[in-house]
Amino acid sequence: MYGFIWRHLPGNTWIKALISLVLVLAAVYVLFQYVFPWAEPLLPFNDVTVDNQ
Amino acid sequence: MEPLPLGDLVSVRVVVRTFSELCVTVGTVIVLFVVYVLFWTGVKADTAMDDQIAQLQEQWSKGSVAAGPKEPRSTGTDAPGTSSGTSPDEPAPYKNGKPFAVMYIPRLGFTWNKPVLEGTRTSTLKKGLGHYASTAQLGQPGNFAVAGHRRTYGDPFKDFPRLRPGDSVVLTDGTSWFTYRIDTKPYKTLPSDIAVIDPVPKKSGYTRAGRYLTLTTCEPEWGHSHRLIVWAHLDSTQPVEAGKPEALRR
Repeated sequence: MYGFIWRHLPGNTWIKALISLVLVLAAVYVLFQYVFPWAEPLLPFNDVTVDNQ
Repeated sequence: MEPLPLGDLVSVRVVVRTFSELCVTVGTVIVLFVVYVLFWTGVKADTAMDDQIAQLQEQWSKGSVAAGPKEPRSTGTDAPGTSSGTSPDEPAPYKNGKPFAVMYIPRLGFTWNKPVLEGTRTSTLKKGLGHYASTAQLGQPGNFAVAGHRRTYGDPFKDFPRLRPGDSVVLTDGTSWFTYRIDTKPYKTLPSDIAVIDPVPKKSGYTRAGRYLTLTTCEPEWGHSHRLIVWAHLDSTQPVEAGKPEALRR
């Protein structure tokens, strides 16, 4: 999977490495900004009230 | 055993490698999620809480001299709920999701202070403590009930079990200081036990109507099977001009 992506990135090794880094950072950003805020309320840490308002 | 042909060997290798790469990816995402829950929610909540307190202080510095605390919240659309206050000077309802007070609990740390927002929705509790909209207002007759996170989102009530009778819970709404005095050890109950935020909570030991405060959080620390409750009564009130109350001085 990662080998496949690496082979299809353009440019020489340095450019590939740079693009990979950007891709990884973009993935982490999407996770922290959108995926985790959606998933976190499914955990029990939000239930602090007695009537579940 | 006959050796596999070269083509088969390559495709087996691709399958195994892809599978292991997926496992590593899932593992990394889980670790990142733990970092998010344990660390990043705290960073976000601290920023949000500082922001709420700054908002309040700006509001108070603008409005408190001219019109008292009523002016900034005069357009609240909340239902009055079961608020039992019938005193003539009952303040206007709080605006849902907006901060209206700052809470100090010296037992949880000398610098521990958190904004109190109206409502107990999940999004509200990310920015501070949440006041149960159906309960009495700050300092009014009845029960002023507040919920807060035990863990995650800044861990405001992490040390909740350390609260003891006699500890003070101090709140200010910009015009007055309200000092509540805790009367009970943390009481463990079920999430469905909504009687704990009644105007006169049954298990609290209070028998007559009064000006009470209830704090609720989750129990166990990382779970949600129970709730921890403490009750307090209003001990003293003083205008902000009179300076910080005794409990906050050192």
